[in-house]
Parts: sequence; C-alpha cells; structure tokens
Amino acid sequence: MCSRCLELTRRSLLIGGGAAAAALHTGTAEARVLPQEMVPLVGPGYKPTERDEIGLWKEMERVEEEIAGSNLLITDPNITGYLQNIIGTVGGPAAKDFRIYLARISDFNAMMFPTGFAVVFSGLLLRMRNEAQLAGVIAHESGHFLRRHMIRSWRDQKRKTDIFAIGAMLAGVGGAGAGVYLGDYVQLAQLGTILSLFQYSRAMEAEADAMGARLIADTGYPPVEMANIWEQLIGEENASARYRGKHRRRGSIFDTHPSEGSRMIDLRADAAEITVPGKAYDNLRERYLTTIGPIRQMLLDDQVKLNDPGASQYLIETLAQDGWNGLLRFYEGEIWRLRNRPGDEQRAAQSYAAAVAYPDAPAEAWRSHGIELMKQGRAGEAKTAFRRYLAMKPDAPDAAWVRSMAS
Amino acid sequence: MVKRGLGIALAACVALSGCVQTRQYADVQFTPPSGDYKLLVLRPDVTVGSLTTGGMVEPRADWTDEARHYIVDALRTQQAGRGGKITIIEHRNEVPGVTAQELADVERLNYVVDQSIVLHKYLGDYLPTKRGKGLDWTLGQDAVKLGQKTGYDYALFMHAEDAQASGGRIALGVLGLAGCFIGFCAPNVGGQQQLDYASLVDLKTGEVVWFNVVMAGSEIPGIKFGDLRTPAGAAQMVDRLLGRMKPGKEAAKGVVMTPEVPEKH
Repeated sequence: MCSRCLELTRRSLLIGGGAAAAALHTGTAEARVLPQEMVPLVGPGYKPTERDEIGLWKEMERVEEEIAGSNLLITDPNITGYLQNIIGTVGGPAAKDFRIYLARISDFNAMMFPTGFAVVFSGLLLRMRNEAQLAGVIAHESGHFLRRHMIRSWRDQKRKTDIFAIGAMLAGVGGAGAGVYLGDYVQLAQLGTILSLFQYSRAMEAEADAMGARLIADTGYPPVEMANIWEQLIGEENASARYRGKHRRRGSIFDTHPSEGSRMIDLRADAAEITVPGKAYDNLRERYLTTIGPIRQMLLDDQVKLNDPGASQYLIETLAQDGWNGLLRFYEGEIWRLRNRPGDEQRAAQSYAAAVAYPDAPAEAWRSHGIELMKQGRAGEAKTAFRRYLAMKPDAPDAAWVRSMAS
Repeated sequence: MVKRGLGIALAACVALSGCVQTRQYADVQFTPPSGDYKLLVLRPDVTVGSLTTGGMVEPRADWTDEARHYIVDALRTQQAGRGGKITIIEHRNEVPGVTAQELADVERLNYVVDQSIVLHKYLGDYLPTKRGKGLDWTLGQDAVKLGQKTGYDYALFMHAEDAQASGGRIALGVLGLAGCFIGFCAPNVGGQQQLDYASLVDLKTGEVVWFNVVMAGSEIPGIKFGDLRTPAGAAQMVDRLLGRMKPGKEAAKGVVMTPEVPEKH
C-alpha cells in the first residue's frame, strides 16, 4: 500500500517471487476510477471489529513501535509537524487519527500501513516541487486507509487462494475419478489467480489516486499537481536509464501498481473533472520550500551520492525550473565531479563558480570553488574562497587542512 | 515484520519435513545457567494465526494474546525451577537504568547476529573459519554495557510463530485423502506450522552463548504438534526450545578455561 512499491507482507513476497519467475511483459490498461465515486469507507476514530482485521492490526503494533523508534527517522519537529499537518488536512474523516513518519531514505516512496500510520521517504521531499505535490502523495496514502485497501486486498487474496486450492484439489480428485489429467489446467488456474491478485492491487492504487486527487482538490490544492508528479518521475527514470544505456521499465501484468504513464493520464483526466472553474487553488510552493529548507542540502547530498548521475541531473534541472540557486548549482557541480568523465572537472568548476555567485551558496561550494581555483593556479582567489569557507564553517572536520591551504 | 524474514528463511529449509525438529548450538565454553542467575527476557515475539484453505496465514489477535500469556507463564515456571531470577519485559521502556533506545539498539543488533547465525549454521552457508568452534558470535560491548547497567547475567531473545490449520484447510486435506481411493492421493497439503527460536546472550562477555531453533510442521492438516493456545502446548514449546540446553563442547569435556574479564568502561 505504498505509492510505488514495497509490499512488505510475507504473502506478497511469496506471490511476488512466484510471479517474478515468469517474466511476461504486456501493456496493461484498466478503466479509470472516477474521483466522484470515491467516498471514504471509514469514519473518525475507526477501530476494526472483524476478526481478521483485528488480527492484522495486532500484527502492526510492533511494526509501528519498530518504525517509530528507528534511527533512520528524521525527527526535526518542524518538518514532522508539517507532515502531520498536511495529513491532518488531506486525510479526510480519519485525518486526526493518522501518524506519519519521515525516514531518511533517498528513494521516491511513501506507504500507508493498515492501522493508519504512514512512512514517507526523504527522497520524496527532494522531488516534490511544492506542497500540493507532497499533499497529493500523502492524500493518495490516506486514500488506501479511507478505502480500507489493506483488509480488502487481504480478503481478496484469501478468497482467491482458497478457491484455487479447492479447485486444484477438485481437479485432481475429479480428474483421477474421470481418468483424465488436469495438471495443465491447474497450472493455468494458478497463473490466473496470481494475475488477478496483481490486478486487484492495481485497481486499489487507481482508487487511491482518484481519492487522493479529490482530497487535495477539496482542500484547495490544484489537483493537476498529482499528475505532474508522475510526469517528473517518468522523466527522471528515462534520464537515469538513458545514462546507463538502458530503457525505462514499463508496466507489466505482474505489477502491483499501474504504470506511471497510465497513472499520469488518469490523474490529468481526474484533475480536469474535479477542478472547479473560478475556484482559487494554491500549490503553496513558498511554504513548502521554507519548511524543507533546513534539510534540503542533506536531501541533495543523499541523492547525488547515489551514483545515479542521469537521475540526479534530471532532478536538479527539474527543481531549477523554479529558479537556480547556489545550492542547486553546487550539487550540479558535485554530479560532474563524482561522474568524472573527460571534461567533467571543467564542468564542475563552472558550476562551483556559478554557485558562489548566489547568496545562498553552501559553505562546501566555497571550498570546492577554492580547490578548482588552486588547480588553475589562481592562488590568491583560492585563498579568499577558503577563508570564506572557514568563516562559514569554522568547526568543519577538514578545517585544519583548509586553513593550511588558505595561509 | 522484520523478524518474519528470518522465519521464512528458516521455514523454507524444512518445508518438506513433517515432524518436530530442534537443532541447538552452543559456545564451546558454555555451561547452561543454573543456581542464582539473573535472566532478562526481551519482548518475547509471539504470533499465532490461522492457516487458511489456500495456505495463507491469517493473524489472530486473541490467539496471539493467549499464547503469549501461556508462554510467559511457562517460561517463569521453567526458569524458577533452575534457580534463576527472571524478568520478562513487554515494552522497551520497562528496564530500569537503560533507555528504550539503548534496548532497541541491542535488540536490533541481536537480530542481525541471529540472522548471521541462521545463515551460517542452519542454511548451509558454513564458514570454514568457524568450523569446530561451536557458536562463535558476539554482540560485543553493547551487550556488556546492558549487563553492567542492569545487573542481569543473561539476556534471552525468543520468537514463536504458529499457524493452526483452519477448518477449510483440514477439509482440503480430507479431500486429498479421499482422493487416495480413486488414484489422486494428496493428503499432505500442509497443516500446522510452528517455528520457534531463541538466543541466549551472556551479558558479562557479550557473547551469544547458545542458540536453538524448533520447527514443527505437519504435512497433514488436522495433526497438531502442541497448541500454543493452551497451557500444556505452551509449556511443551518452552521445554522443547529451552528445556534441554546442552553445554558447549569443551565445557562438556570438563575443560574449563578462565573466563575473560571484560574491560570496565
């Protein structure tokens, strides 16, 4: 029940393993779920009353305890409070029941657990260009809870595996009684069972998208931003694949989620449908950037060190569509420096030089700029740059070395 | 959820067997605790579910609570019989002198060490450097510090998961058995599955001194191997898992070396 991947249960692992073994590829087209049909199925303070759901919630107790105490979490109260406020706004009837945790993992992902706690990866905060996009992902996750997807998909899997087990047994016994071998049909039925499980999962993702679009539009965010997220992601994956000489992975019948392209198209249609003409929508970009400002350098740093220059470059250029600044220029330079192809050092030097021209250039930009100047034989300017670095970060771990370079 | 990963790995290696299996390893110097020792049992991890007709495990909150209760009782009775003082905690903030975070760190460290033990001792990926050394793993200074701060001699980590065959699963087995009369014999669709493991850590040295795995499974639904939801079944499980601790190879031969005195911090 996450926005892109990671189904954590044993059953899905088993099913996924079985399915992965047979790698078929085909286009997948399913009917769009209409936002107006998406009504929440739970009210405020929801607690399970049925046996299987009570069991599922019980299992989640320790999972949440483990996640809440994980040392991967970013616990800055400004940022966690901000996320909690967003889910408290776009979470529909359960808004006040949700808990949300931010994990420092540089992938694009978020997930909702059956008991109403969500985990957002820090890579998501790097990629979102405004609050509306972030709210869109969070609303999608809320949609899983509001539409009771976890217990519904569990029951669906249970029902289908039950039917398959009985059917397979009956085919065996009945076939033996009739003197025919039905093993091939049983295998076909097994494949059918597995495929229908994935289809159900994709249908739920489509529901969550439609529900999410509706929730953010009701709150006053432009719903089209949800479609923009997928456009950006497709662009990023294309760029990453192109750099590695590969093709971006497209959808298959074994996917738990609809393909990114179909989600984008459906979400654009949703947005057109639910946007009320004349109503004022605000993507709250400024508030978003101000809030994540204190960790944005860390987010960029984590991304650039993934050694995925294609994706990193695309991301930085996408973020820069809202305006270049010192931070983005510095990390652009870092991409070249780490890629280290012929000519990359010159590119990096240019980026560092551009970075320090902005008032928000990070201290590290001055150090890197200084090193490049030193290599070009411009010692005087280099020393000025080093001194600027030391003034900004007097306690840097490498301060002693930089000090010796500056003197 | 994380613990499940280890469970799956272990269960996979005996998927085809249909009985109760236990295999324990001990540090060569290990002597089972007896007399006046203090044992800390960290959050026994118990889950009981129902095995559906199709073979999925449906977690059951009521059964899990019952089983945990009986297992804790059985553990107390067993350890008291050996003279030990036992503390069983349910939450990480229940140990005086250590924070929940410190305890979480030790638990997580133990979990990865357990994973390594399972990989190299149970799943066939044997390490030549550890051959003939019994159980040669340690949690290091973190565990020693836990011992110093709390005064416990040993920490015990345990996990128990059990799936009881549902009515539908049993019926499926019966159908498979009925098929035997007409030439399609499939009674062994798989019934109750139980997996338990435990590791004992010496908090004076930090070493994992003993590790045991119990796997009980029946291929035929309806046949049970001790039901954790009953006091007798829970006691039987605790006895299988912890009742017959064998001393390490050298300790058993009477070769007793002076234990290393850990450095004070």
